[in-house]
Amino acid sequence: MTWERLFGYRHAFDHPVTLWITLGIGGVLVAALLVIAVLGQSGAVDGALRTELRKRTLSWLVLAPLILGPVLLGAGWHMAAVLVLSLGCFREYSRATGLFREKLVTFVVVVGIAAVWFAVVDHWYGFFVALFPLAVVLIAVAPIARDRPKGYIQRVALGVFGFMLFGCALGHFAYLGNDWNYRPIVLMLLLGVQMNDVFAFVIGKTMGRRKLVPNTSPGKTIAGAVGSLVVTTPLVAVLAHHVFRGTNLDRPFVLALLGFLTSVSGQLGDLMLSSIKRDLGIKDMGVTIPGHGGLLDRFNSLLLAAPVVFHFVGYHVGIGLDQPVRIITGP
Amino acid sequence: MEQWKLQPARDLGLSQSQRMRSLRRESGLIETGLHMFWWALIRSYLRIGHRLEVRGKEHLPAGPPFVLVANHGSHLDALTLFASLPCGLRDRVFPLAAGDAFFEATSTAAFAAFLLNALPLWRRRCNPRDIAELRRRLLDEPCAYILFPEGTRTRTGSMGPFKGGLGILVAGTDVPVVPCHLEGTFRAWRPDRRLPTPGRKITLSVGPPLRFSAMANDRDGWTEVAAAAEASVRSLAPVPPPTPSAS
Repeated sequence: MTWERLFGYRHAFDHPVTLWITLGIGGVLVAALLVIAVLGQSGAVDGALRTELRKRTLSWLVLAPLILGPVLLGAGWHMAAVLVLSLGCFREYSRATGLFREKLVTFVVVVGIAAVWFAVVDHWYGFFVALFPLAVVLIAVAPIARDRPKGYIQRVALGVFGFMLFGCALGHFAYLGNDWNYRPIVLMLLLGVQMNDVFAFVIGKTMGRRKLVPNTSPGKTIAGAVGSLVVTTPLVAVLAHHVFRGTNLDRPFVLALLGFLTSVSGQLGDLMLSSIKRDLGIKDMGVTIPGHGGLLDRFNSLLLAAPVVFHFVGYHVGIGLDQPVRIITGP
Repeated sequence: MEQWKLQPARDLGLSQSQRMRSLRRESGLIETGLHMFWWALIRSYLRIGHRLEVRGKEHLPAGPPFVLVANHGSHLDALTLFASLPCGLRDRVFPLAAGDAFFEATSTAAFAAFLLNALPLWRRRCNPRDIAELRRRLLDEPCAYILFPEGTRTRTGSMGPFKGGLGILVAGTDVPVVPCHLEGTFRAWRPDRRLPTPGRKITLSVGPPLRFSAMANDRDGWTEVAAAAEASVRSLAPVPPPTPSAS
């Protein structure tokens, strides 16, 4: 059963919601390509905007299979993909904040991320939870050996913050893979936060006047924030109704609350990354994805939404309760 | 309370291909790991394969900034100097390598950048801004360079005259220039061979550092710096090499 969960690609479309979302994403991408082609033919958009749009869409064409593929193939692949994502995001973060010059601290954080990942694969919740205080202690004590107290707080603080975002927060995203029914939950979360971004952008562009937090992120408007909240909440609630049908979570108020929390935490994750970038005085975290910037610029909204959704679902339904635990370290 | 100093990587926003050719490249955890691996490998190879002997180790500065200058006999030179420095300095020491020889093809550029931590120096189309960038980095960071001021490997085994580029880097600064003489690297890897010949001994002699803080940062100063460094490196040779005209 565990093997089937980790690598059982035949179960990819066992759940109808998985199929809907996959088809939906495929359809949207095809539609986007058609729209760009039509717009280009009619000359409705000028050259620069067209190149930008095409670059973004082409990036999505590569990105979507890279995200969807591992989720569909099996929980093992999903976890491996999240590990790569965590390490990639941490690399961008440490290079942008200057933490990368502190080799010892970055090394400890990477070890911490690897340990979290091990706890996830092992399905050992006790170790998974214990790692957060343990890794923070390690990050705090490792630089003492250097005997260089100047800048100690900054080093440790950046290390702890990085571990919390990319080890802890994204670790929750990987941990969802321990549920037998992880595919629709993961896809619902991914679709929720990504559509949330799109809604905020579109509604903000068309209706937005008053800025939300102009110093942090000049592009965001109050209308965009409220609008995406209004659209994302029912979207996630409807998906969640089908995913968690007949469980404790399948009550209108609770479903709406899940949608609401997904939208809010997604937007806050976005604003958190904007604050980091503003403080550093940089526009993008990297150049990993053409047209989008760095990995972090794309996955920022997942950082806070993943633990929120994880614990919300965990509280009402539980994650992977029927699955064998400690599959590697256990007896 | 002091403000936090958040300094993003100077090479942030460059693609991997631009990054390995950038003079602003900074090492992260992956590069540090690669440097340490390569350093250990080369160090063992030179010790076992070429019985590497280092004389005058006490003249090596404890930390950056400094510039190591040496005669250039073969591709083993930079590796020998690189492996003779303490491992802890690995990320802050940059061999300056010929851009046209090492940084045009992606494979050699990746090797030079990520294993050797080399920075490119374009010999024919050298931009004055590049040298200014190297000088700024040497002083600000501070870091250290390994430089072969002859500008190319010797094809005959005898040392050629030093070029003035070294002067542009250090004239008028307090950066110590450490003269090094490499004996045996030419014989150990002759220019007509594809691979080095193990068993041939290499000796590295390190001399007392020179400083050029009083030297004017102009053409005359640069020539003088080059001449002084050249004389110092020559004086470290165990047997004075025969001049080409004498043979």
